[in-house]
Amino acid sequence: MSMAIIKTDKISKTYHSGGADIRALIGVSLAIEPGEFIMITGRNGSGKSTLLHQLALLDLPDSGEVLINNKKTTDLNEGLRMDFRLSSLGYIFQEYALIAELTAIENVMLPAMMLGPSKLAKKKAANLLNIVGLENKHNRLPSQLSGGEQQKVAIARSLINSPQIIFADEPTANLDTIAAKEILNIFKRLNEKEGITIVMVTHEPEELEYASRLIHLSDGRLT
Amino acid sequence: MKTQLRLPFYLAWQYIRRGRKWTFFLTLFMMSVAFINLIFVSSLFAGIIDGTNKQIINTMTGNFYITPNDGQDYVTNKNHAVELLTNLDDVVGASARTQVPARMTYKNIRGSWQILAVDPNNEKRVSNVADKMIAGSFLEPDDLDQIIIGRQIAGGEGVEENAFSFKGAQVGDKVTLTFDGFSKEFTIKGIFATKFVEADNRAFISANALSALIPATNNVATTIAVKTDKTVDSNFIDKISALNIDGKVYSWQEAAGLMKSVAESFKSINALVSIVGILIAAITIFIIIYVDIVNKRKQIGILRAIGIKSYIIIFSYVILAAVYAVAGVILGTALFFAAIVPYFQAHPFVLPICDAVLVLSKLDYIARAEAIMWVSVISGLIPAALTTRTKILDAILGR
Repeated sequence: MSMAIIKTDKISKTYHSGGADIRALIGVSLAIEPGEFIMITGRNGSGKSTLLHQLALLDLPDSGEVLINNKKTTDLNEGLRMDFRLSSLGYIFQEYALIAELTAIENVMLPAMMLGPSKLAKKKAANLLNIVGLENKHNRLPSQLSGGEQQKVAIARSLINSPQIIFADEPTANLDTIAAKEILNIFKRLNEKEGITIVMVTHEPEELEYASRLIHLSDGRLT
Repeated sequence: MKTQLRLPFYLAWQYIRRGRKWTFFLTLFMMSVAFINLIFVSSLFAGIIDGTNKQIINTMTGNFYITPNDGQDYVTNKNHAVELLTNLDDVVGASARTQVPARMTYKNIRGSWQILAVDPNNEKRVSNVADKMIAGSFLEPDDLDQIIIGRQIAGGEGVEENAFSFKGAQVGDKVTLTFDGFSKEFTIKGIFATKFVEADNRAFISANALSALIPATNNVATTIAVKTDKTVDSNFIDKISALNIDGKVYSWQEAAGLMKSVAESFKSINALVSIVGILIAAITIFIIIYVDIVNKRKQIGILRAIGIKSYIIIFSYVILAAVYAVAGVILGTALFFAAIVPYFQAHPFVLPICDAVLVLSKLDYIARAEAIMWVSVISGLIPAALTTRTKILDAILGR
């Protein structure tokens, strides 16, 4: 019986672009144990983000299977996958992906408002913003925050429903060195102290030291 | 679940509160223009119909109209009939009118216009001709050799039917009324212009003048016009009939003649134009809201990615569209009643049948406001539903 929190079985994904087929993933099989800090590396176009999208249930593979906690996810309909994302997974986009009309605290509390009363969601959101170091910026709109601060808001949002796994797609790509280091330290703390499994895509060599394990992709295959 | 139901309202409120203000106000302005366009055309036609109806009532028929019984030339015992009628509750006045059997001659122009003999005091209570004198003055009961004529008979520059008129008769000029076997000269005491061509093609002399010339007409009338309060309903006809007056009672609608067909035609045109207006408003509103939602495609993708259910996202945009609609209707209503209606009251549309102002019935207003609401809700629903059906990554990455 596998202990893997996430497991993929020969997943493949092909995109059609400009009349040509691009094979982004070819028979990728992997297993991620609880509490791991995984970094997925590879050159541009190697399939890193595509793999992350499959693992985070944002996309479906053409073939193969993605299992989370030994549960097959490819057969789930969009509503059930959405429930899964809401309650068990956190996702951090490279471009922060905050809602422009909501303040930092409102962005963070939004997923929690799907599951419980807004007062409780607000309390949890405030606590998380404090944890990521945005004590005084709860009521700032995304446009009033720096890139690093916006990414911290996105991290706090990904944590609001106490997920088992956080997925991050090049979360430091648009940040300066200091902000990037801050973000990575937050991930490290969450991984080590909270035991949250982190799966992160990066192509910055200096970030690899934070990982407990590396997964390297080349032309859609694990190497 | 309760929290989930609050979420669409929460999202819609934040979009409005913190979204781009100029986009919100531009959308609001477009919605209000679409609504004004809908109610303006409708109220213009309603205004023409209403103006025409008032002209018929105030210049021609009154609210009720009594004509001789079949086979008779006159309503007999007119003085008693007028007395009975004026004693009825809600009757403002009754005026017996007797057709003068004469042709009119002015200089070398001769014609057969409708000449009515009336009691001037009674006529003042029924018609507004006395208030529409553009030269001279209205008749007095003792005017035995004076006549007032309509603008279409007097003629002159700018008069619609100048070719068939006296081509410029003035107050003080003489006209000759030629009866069967004798004639009588009258002085033009006044000229009236009701702005209703049919009414302005008439002339009036006093009932005493006709009685002096033809004593047999002393107590008969060819019609009796009855003016009532606005509050009376069509059952009032039964009350008049119960007086046993020697004549047949009609409502003004039945006596409206050609104008009834004109009013019906305007109603049909209004219905047609309203349908086209609603279609144009629907397309306009759909485009406005569609563009707004399509621009938020990425945002919708993000919401789905973080676990917000599609129905909540769709409902939030439906609420947003409904808010646009309500605010657009309120703004449109305010502009319409505060600016457009007063302007057209001061500068009415001048038509040969009436001066038309804008008239909007409650029913028309509600129907059009409802149309805007439904169109907006559908315009919010369709693009939001389509966007939530696209793949999350396609929505977020703009693919």
